[in-house]
Amino acid sequence: MTEKKEQKESYPKYAPGTHVHDKDIYERKITYTWWEPEVQYSWSLGPAMSRFLQELKAGKIIGIKCNRCRRVIVPPRMFCEYCYGPTSDWVYLKDTGTVETFSLSYLDADARRIEEPILIGVISIDGASPKHGFMHYFGEMKPEELKIGMKVKAVWKPENEREGSITDIKYFKPFRGGEE
Amino acid sequence: MKDVAVIGAGMTLFRRRLKETGKELSFLAAKMALEEAGIQKSDLDMVVMGSAPDAFDGIHMKGENLIDGAAAAGKPYVRVFNGGGTGVFAPIAGWWHVASGVADIVMVVCEEKMGSCYPHPQTAFRHIWDPIIDRPLNPNLIWLFAMEMNRYMTVYNIKKEDIARVAVKNKRNAVGHPCAQLADPNITIDDVLNSEVMAWPVQRLDVSPPSDGASALIYCSKDKVHQFTDDPIWVDGVGWGIDSTMWTNRDLCFPRYVATAAKMAYKMAGITNPPKDIDFAEPYDPFDYKELHHMEGLLLCKKGEAPILTREGVTQRDGDLPICPSGGLLGVGNPIAATMGQKVCEVYWQLAGKAGKRQIPGDPRVGVGQAWGDIMQMATVIVLRR
Amino acid sequence: MLEKQTDPTSPMHWRGDMQADYMYTNGVAGDRFFRHLMEKDTFLATKCKKCGKVLFPARLYCEDCFQEISESDWLEVPATGTVRVFTVATINAHGKKMEEPKIIALIDIDKTDGALLGIIKTKDLKRDFCGVKVKAVFKPKEKREGTLKDILYFEEKI
Repeated sequence: MTEKKEQKESYPKYAPGTHVHDKDIYERKITYTWWEPEVQYSWSLGPAMSRFLQELKAGKIIGIKCNRCRRVIVPPRMFCEYCYGPTSDWVYLKDTGTVETFSLSYLDADARRIEEPILIGVISIDGASPKHGFMHYFGEMKPEELKIGMKVKAVWKPENEREGSITDIKYFKPFRGGEE
Repeated sequence: MKDVAVIGAGMTLFRRRLKETGKELSFLAAKMALEEAGIQKSDLDMVVMGSAPDAFDGIHMKGENLIDGAAAAGKPYVRVFNGGGTGVFAPIAGWWHVASGVADIVMVVCEEKMGSCYPHPQTAFRHIWDPIIDRPLNPNLIWLFAMEMNRYMTVYNIKKEDIARVAVKNKRNAVGHPCAQLADPNITIDDVLNSEVMAWPVQRLDVSPPSDGASALIYCSKDKVHQFTDDPIWVDGVGWGIDSTMWTNRDLCFPRYVATAAKMAYKMAGITNPPKDIDFAEPYDPFDYKELHHMEGLLLCKKGEAPILTREGVTQRDGDLPICPSGGLLGVGNPIAATMGQKVCEVYWQLAGKAGKRQIPGDPRVGVGQAWGDIMQMATVIVLRR
Repeated sequence: MLEKQTDPTSPMHWRGDMQADYMYTNGVAGDRFFRHLMEKDTFLATKCKKCGKVLFPARLYCEDCFQEISESDWLEVPATGTVRVFTVATINAHGKKMEEPKIIALIDIDKTDGALLGIIKTKDLKRDFCGVKVKAVFKPKEKREGTLKDILYFEEKI
C-alpha cells in the first residue's frame, strides 16, 4: 500500500440507521402499522400441467418430448425453453427414479422449528432425460438411509383420495430392483 | 459506448430490523454517496433504484414508493429487480444510463426492508415457488439451498468443514465494517459445525441473516469525471445471465448461468485469464457454500477447487486472491438488493484505497462483484478497474 | 395440439393465497409524528430550511431539495384543513357495495404545504365538499395506538 492511501479516510465513514429489537415492537416502544393483505389467486394450469395433474390423479407420471433436442421433459410443458419450439409427444414415465439431491429440514414453511425432519429432495424420473424430475418428499426410511443416487419409487394416495395434485404422490420410498 | 466511472458510494447500518422506513433508509445511503462525490440532488441526471421482491417490504410496486428517498422526485427514474441478482443488476442498469450517453451523472440506490414481513421473511419467500408443482409441498426456501449444497458437496466430494471456513473468514473480515450485522472476531469452524441444523446440510451459521438496509453508488461519465477525481475507478465490464426456471431439470452442482454472466463481463473488460487478471472478488455469499460455488462459476478456479483454495488461505484478505474482503453477506448482512454495498461499493472502496481496516494489501487494480438470484438461475457480474 | 389436450374435466385452475402479514415501522419521522398524535390533538410538520416548504406529514428530509430535517425544523400545526377534492365511495376495497356511502377527501392541512386523505363524517352525501373547512376527530387518548387510525374521521369545522 502506498503512503498516500494510508492517509485516506475509511469508508463507509459512518453507519446510519436505528436498530430496533423485537422487544421494542412487543413493548410498543416504537409505533408501527400492522397490515394483513387479503388476496387469493386462481392460477390457470395450461394444457401441459392440466394433463400432468390429471395423469397423477390416475396414478401415472407423464412427460413430454421435444422433437428438436430429443429431451423427455418432466414436469411437462407446451414448449422446450432451450429450443424454443413446441413439444409434441406425450410419454408415460415410470413412477421410479433416482435421488439427485435431498435435505433433511428442521424448519417448516414459515421457518418455525420442528422436531422430526422433513425428508425432501429432487427425484429424476425413470424414462425422462437425465436430471429431469421434480421435488418431493421421502418416506419409509430413516433420515440416515437417504443418499444421493439412491433408487426410489412413488407411494401413491388411495385412488379415491387423489385430486389432481403433486401431493397425489404421498412420498417416494426406497426401491429395490424387481419390486412392484 | 462511453466510459463510466464511480465517484461515490454509501450504505446504512445492516440490521435484522431498522426503525427507518424504506424511503428513509434510501435517503441515508444516498446522502452518504452524495457527500463522498461532493454533489447534490440537483447534479443528478437520472436515478436507478434496485429493490428485490415487493413481498418483503409489503408495498406493492415499492420502486414508486421509494422514489423520494432516492433523490429521484422529479427526475427520470427506473426500478429494476431480479431477486438476489438485483444488488449487482441495479448498478449494471445505472452503468448503461451513462455508457449509452443519455446521462452524465447517475445515482443507483438499493433498498430492502425484510423486517416488515411477518412472521418471518421466509413467509414472503414461499411465494417465489411455482404455485402448482412446488408450493403444495409447503416448501421453505432454505430447502432449495440445502439441496443445491448437498449436490455440490456430493459431486465434488467436499467436506462440511471446508465450507464452514468461508463463514469463519467472512464473519471475521466483517469486523472492520461499521455496518456489519454478524461480525465475529472469534468465530471458529467448530462454532459453524455445531450450530443448529436448519435443513441439513445447512446449519445456522452457514446462512447470512435477513436484514434491513440500503446502499447507494454514483456514476459519472468520462466527459465530466475530471471535475471529481484524478484517479477514477472505472466500470470495465458488466454481464448477466439466466437459466431455465425448471430447476429440477438442471444439475445443481455447477452454476452455469454465473459462467455465462462472467464471460460476458470478462469479454468487455478484456479479461482472458480470470485467476491471473483479477486481483480480488466479492462473489455473492448468502450461504457459505455459495461463495465457493460462485468462485467456480466466475471461473476463478476449476470446478470443485474453491474449497481447496479456501483451505489453503488463498482467499483470505492477505491471500493471493482475496474473496469477500468486505465480510460479505455472511458477516455484514443480507438486505437482498442493498448488498450492492458489499458487492459493488466495497469493490470501489477497495480499488480507491478507501477501505480502511478492510483494505486489501498491495495494489489491487481489478475487482469483480457478483450477485445471484431467483430460483437458482440468475447471475449478475460487474468488473471495476483502477 | 391444444385441441388434443383440452379435456373439459381437466383441473384447469389451481387455487391458492398469499399468506404474509406486515409490520411497518412508522420510521424515524413517522414515529415522532404518531407519538405526538397519541398525546395531542394536533399534528407535527417539518419545515425545509432550503425551500421553506412545510412538509406534512413530517419527514426526515425534503424530497425536493434532499435537505435533511434537523431538530429546529419541527413544528406543531392544528389538526384542521380545507377539502381540496373529494369522492363519494360506494364500493369497498374488495369491490363490494358498502351499506353506507363514504366521503373520502384530500384535505390540505392548515399552515402546511401537505395534505392528508381522510373520511368526512356527514349526513349530507349530496353536498359539494370542495373548499369546506374541516377538523380531525380523534379516538379517546387512552385508545390511541400510534397509527393513522387514531384519527377517526374529519368533520366540518363550525
